[in-house]
Amino acid sequence: MKGLCGRFVKAPLLFLLVFMVFSLSLTRLPFYVSANDEASLAIGEADNALRRAFEAVLEAERAGANVSDLIVKLDEAGGLLAEAENAYRIGNFSEAVSRAEGCSVLANGVVGEALSLQNMALADAQTAFWQNLTFSCFGGAAVLVVLFLVWGWFKRVDVERMLKMKPEVASDVEA
Amino acid sequence: MLKLEDYKVVFATLGLVGILLFASPTLGLVLRLPGGEKFSELWVLGPGHMAEDYPFNVGADVNYLVYVGVGNHMGCSAYYVVYVKFRNQTESLPNATAGTPSPLPPLFEFCVFVEDGKSWEAPLRFSFSNVSFSENRSFVESLMMNGVTFNVDKSASWDVENNGYYYQLFIELWIYNVEPAAFEFHNRFVGLWLNMTGV
Repeated sequence: MKGLCGRFVKAPLLFLLVFMVFSLSLTRLPFYVSANDEASLAIGEADNALRRAFEAVLEAERAGANVSDLIVKLDEAGGLLAEAENAYRIGNFSEAVSRAEGCSVLANGVVGEALSLQNMALADAQTAFWQNLTFSCFGGAAVLVVLFLVWGWFKRVDVERMLKMKPEVASDVEA
Repeated sequence: MLKLEDYKVVFATLGLVGILLFASPTLGLVLRLPGGEKFSELWVLGPGHMAEDYPFNVGADVNYLVYVGVGNHMGCSAYYVVYVKFRNQTESLPNATAGTPSPLPPLFEFCVFVEDGKSWEAPLRFSFSNVSFSENRSFVESLMMNGVTFNVDKSASWDVENNGYYYQLFIELWIYNVEPAAFEFHNRFVGLWLNMTGV
């Protein structure tokens, strides 16, 4: 009788215990999935930010800007992204999020700097272009004017030289 | 004796040369001459920064060091990703002819930005742990690279011809292409053969 009673008590307790363990596992799963998703999202954002920053730096470089300092910053941001990816692969999601966020901050800063450098480089390039064009036009025109003057003087001297020449008569002597 | 017409040609030539000389700074800004061959370099050096003393006979819980380097000759700054992968003899390497990467997932990576004409180099420290041997097979459970431990769970059979349990740590170079805004395998890879020993 006592054993039967104990069994009746134990069965619900066991059921409750199993239910609690199952519930706990269910509640932990969303946390795990959430951390994974958050890390994945943060890495995706950092990756996009870094690509945008690189494209901005490349544009600045094409405009003629010196981008050495920006490349150093990009490399630093890239190091953080790589660390985030490596941490994500081993399931260290909190570190992945922290590194990815650091990368995004650095990369977004680089975009602004690259844009201002690009604008400065474009303005410098435009000034240099107009200076060179002016130099070329005036230089070319000066060369032409000087050459025409020299050519005029040379022609005059040559004609005078021709006029001063005395005609010489030569006779063909037949043998 | 030159005639006046001949002097005319000399003067015209001098004028043309002069105009070209003065126009050259502007032409230099406008005309873009084609550059040289565009390519990237990828290398692995031994612990002494030389192409020697590479780790070959490796064992568990011993630290090994190599240097990974990338050189940029692409004509502009480049964004590279260097993937480190680990395989046994049965798993595939990248295909250099087809220009396709290895299908194996990367374990470790470096994100690298290099200016044109410059290079980048970084140390890659690695060690193996939980290595076991049984029935002509070796098993590697964990591979640590630069302080990050990865579960690799790889096994290698005894290679009768070369007398060893061979694994390969290999490195692929990927480059970011702005046009499709995506990373592409750059068809550059280097690898280190590693013979897993009980020591």
